[in-house]
Amino acid sequence: MKRLRDWWSNPWGRPRALVAVTWLYIAWSIVPIAIAILFSFNAGKSRTVWQGFSTRWYWGDPTQSVLHDPALRSALEQSLKLAALDMAVSVPLGVALALGLTRWHGPGARPVNVLMLFPLVTPEIVMAVSLLLVFVTLYGIQLGTTAQLLGQVTFSVSYVVVIVRGRLLSIGKEYEEAATDLGASRVAALRLVLLPLLAPAIFASLMVVFALSIDDFVVTDYLSSDASTQTVPIQIYSSVRGTTTPALNALATVIVVATLLAVAFAYVVHRRFTAGDEAARGSALREIAAFDV
Amino acid sequence: MARRGLFWPLFALPGAVWLVLFFLIPFYAVLSVAFGTVDPIFQGPVPVWNPFDWHFTTMRSVLEQLRPGQVFWTVFVRTFAYVGIALAGCLAIGYPVAYYLARHARRTKALLLVLLIIPFWVSYLMRMLAWIGLLLPDGLVNRSLVDIGLLSHPHGWLDGQPSSVIFALVYGYVPYLILPLFATLDRIEPHLIEAGLDLGASRFSTFLHVTLPLSKQGILAGSVLIALPMFGDYYTNDVISGSPGTSMIGNQINLFFQGGPQRTTGAALVIVLAVLLGALMSYYLYSTVRASRQPVTA
Amino acid sequence: MSEAKGGAVELVELRKRFGDVAAVDGVSLRIPAGEFFSLLGPSGCGKTTTLRLIAGLERPDGGRISLDGVDMAATPPHRRKVNTVFQNYALFPHLSVFDNVAFGLRRRRTSRNEINRRVGGVLEAVRLEGLEKRRPSQLSGGQQQRVALARALVLEPSVLLLDEPLGALDAKLRKALQLELKTIHEQFGITFVYVTHDQEEALTMSDRIAVMSDGRVEQVATPEEIYEEPATVFVADFLGISNLMTATAEGAHDGRCLLRLGESELHAARGEISARGEVRIVIRPERIRVEPYAPGGENRIPGMVERVVYLGSLEQLVIRLATGDVLQAIVVNDGEPKAFSQGVPVRVHLPAEALRVLPERPAGEVT
Ligand SMILES: Nc1ncnc2c1ncn2[C@@H]1O[C@H](COP(=O)(O)OP(=O)(O)O)[C@@H](O)[C@H]1O
Ligand SMILES: [Mg+2]
Repeated sequence: MKRLRDWWSNPWGRPRALVAVTWLYIAWSIVPIAIAILFSFNAGKSRTVWQGFSTRWYWGDPTQSVLHDPALRSALEQSLKLAALDMAVSVPLGVALALGLTRWHGPGARPVNVLMLFPLVTPEIVMAVSLLLVFVTLYGIQLGTTAQLLGQVTFSVSYVVVIVRGRLLSIGKEYEEAATDLGASRVAALRLVLLPLLAPAIFASLMVVFALSIDDFVVTDYLSSDASTQTVPIQIYSSVRGTTTPALNALATVIVVATLLAVAFAYVVHRRFTAGDEAARGSALREIAAFDV
Repeated sequence: MARRGLFWPLFALPGAVWLVLFFLIPFYAVLSVAFGTVDPIFQGPVPVWNPFDWHFTTMRSVLEQLRPGQVFWTVFVRTFAYVGIALAGCLAIGYPVAYYLARHARRTKALLLVLLIIPFWVSYLMRMLAWIGLLLPDGLVNRSLVDIGLLSHPHGWLDGQPSSVIFALVYGYVPYLILPLFATLDRIEPHLIEAGLDLGASRFSTFLHVTLPLSKQGILAGSVLIALPMFGDYYTNDVISGSPGTSMIGNQINLFFQGGPQRTTGAALVIVLAVLLGALMSYYLYSTVRASRQPVTA
Repeated sequence: MSEAKGGAVELVELRKRFGDVAAVDGVSLRIPAGEFFSLLGPSGCGKTTTLRLIAGLERPDGGRISLDGVDMAATPPHRRKVNTVFQNYALFPHLSVFDNVAFGLRRRRTSRNEINRRVGGVLEAVRLEGLEKRRPSQLSGGQQQRVALARALVLEPSVLLLDEPLGALDAKLRKALQLELKTIHEQFGITFVYVTHDQEEALTMSDRIAVMSDGRVEQVATPEEIYEEPATVFVADFLGISNLMTATAEGAHDGRCLLRLGESELHAARGEISARGEVRIVIRPERIRVEPYAPGGENRIPGMVERVVYLGSLEQLVIRLATGDVLQAIVVNDGEPKAFSQGVPVRVHLPAEALRVLPERPAGEVT
């Protein structure tokens, strides 16, 4: 008994209790997802009983697979479309805002700085309700893709600002000043020095926005018009409790794989961008995991 | 000289305008609806934009129902209980994991970080979907428990069980807590820990008197970061329980917005929720602003 | 190309505040074309800020900067014929050595051939041929320093500003690069404004030095003057070990100042010899003569050796005078058996022509 206790709490050894907790947690967090992915390859209709391997729910089944079921297919298309649009709008908007907020020290900078933090901490349902009400009662914007995009950009932009601003602060002003000293105008310094140095952060932002958009349920659901603007999360939400086929798992799997590939790709590109720039490199993982404000 | 002064503000302008148009004004729209009237014929909400003409009837009745024993009271108490327990659960799981990763993991650190980040990137509803598959009456959980004899017959995990909802909240939100905690713990200088040990504190008391106080900021920020969205969450509850018996504030609001005439009440409830969370938020904002003022090392 | 060499810089009552810190507090300097001019002072005294004002990276709150007689107030940094070697080099990490050096030329729309020629030339001058394709992070500290130098020099500025360019390098490398910088200065013939907190570096390299303290200039002079004739207590103190004592002055007699230091009477031939009242007097350790003990003698005070520090070719003696003051003296270690060891009574000779009375300037007073 004593030996067991010594082994468990040896002051120089590894903290075994912590090791155990950590690995149990990791198993707990990942195994269910792995099982759900596994069942997307089930040959039968069950989501709980394994009936052999097939790709039927991806494309094999002529009516119920992700490829052929119009509802699933349109959800996938809408998700990807919104993600692309969200990236295209939020990232330029957020990069500009981050630049403005870090370099501008005027009286207006502070309120904007605070306002920018709000979307990060506002529960989604509050944002969703307010956007819905303002679109319907004041702006006269039709629910649907446009409304969904406006909503998604509103919460994505702040993440871009946080990521880009972090990098901007660690770059400091010295490179810009060196460029000006060497005869570059302010615009040239921005284009030739600052933007290339921000590239890793811009890339990380693109990926974060992609994931945020793909993952979003509440705002996107509140601002959707009809079946044609349903996204994958909406599809999962509305059919997960009913009698449904592993096609739903297949749909979710497609999104998971797309996101993880995008993140892995971003990570590789990030490393290439920052080759030789050790400080930026060390923060690669953390920037990718950029929810750490 | 004017150009010099306008250069950077111009960069901030589009984003600032966006936030005003799509964050600030919409929030005002909620106020206008909550303090507005209801169309007598179509039963739709009629916003009142001028604060001097606001009607307080809806808000008054919502506040009345918030008194102990009334409908919303039950829902609010339940929400606080669920969020509180789930938060404690998240900390109980998240802190040791983040602590191990930051302080002790060496060769496996990169691998562990990747494994911890994966759930973070898997769509939230996909993760719920995964557990629902396992918790179905004929799912893996029930079958295993029956097989090893812990259960005589399948348990209805998804039939409105508060424990299932809390479990799902913990599972859903703990990844968002681990990363900020890890970031805080990772920043603590190892020298400080070594100094603690050197000064005669045991491993545990070093943890208690050095590491824990130094990570307080991270614990608070991380807790606020996950508590806020939990307060507005309705989808976890909907997919895991679906029963009014476990309904939280988010479910109540969602209910009012799905079905026609009650949007005014829903908007009033949103205001109540926002005010409640305002206190929590201001603390969070205060701490981030303070943290961002600390010198940045390149 | 008619590149005028070296530019003359003139600063008039220059001022810059950051919040309640007066970083530069009324600095006036006149730097003739082609000079190697150093700003010397402790960290935080406003050297970098002065340099940044000249470069145009900061806007002055008051005063005037002119370059070759032309006021620079309305000229933005990228239009000034002034370039900077930054304190931490600020080499663009995403560009190769070649592209870093070519950066400024490209902004001027120089032709490709011309760029190749000039970049090649300047890289040769700083002995970096063959490293064109490297990234800054793949270079040693000394090499990075040279890239920063080349990047500024290639634009043929009329004034080159250097902010502690050798500060990040180890002692040996610093010595080598000091010589190289000197050579480059002669070769290019342009004005160097050189910032350093290292007095030895300033003394060995500069034509003239401005010693700064708290945003103000204490003294502008040649290295010899600064070293031999420090104008203020601060300068005397900052420039290496000097022995500072407080004495009572009783005015000039025969071109020498009569001083009372405790019981003893001293004569000083340098500095404010007509001063009266409490003054500070200073003497360099190497100018003190240490003699075997004997009573009396002009400008001689008895004392006792407290400590002997072996410095290789020299020996440093710490001597406590009968007046209570503690002096440091440097004596040549000429191989003779040690005459002075710890505890030995001695007589210290403070030659009148080495003893300097400092003006009592409250502003410059640093304790
Ligand atoms: N950008 C700035 N903001 C606020 N204070 C500054 C800034 N730059 C310099 N200072 C202050 O001005 C003083 C002079 O600084 P500096 O010119 O960098 O000194 P040096 O280069 O001689 O060490 C210091 O007290 C410093 O803290
Ligand atoms: Mg400096």
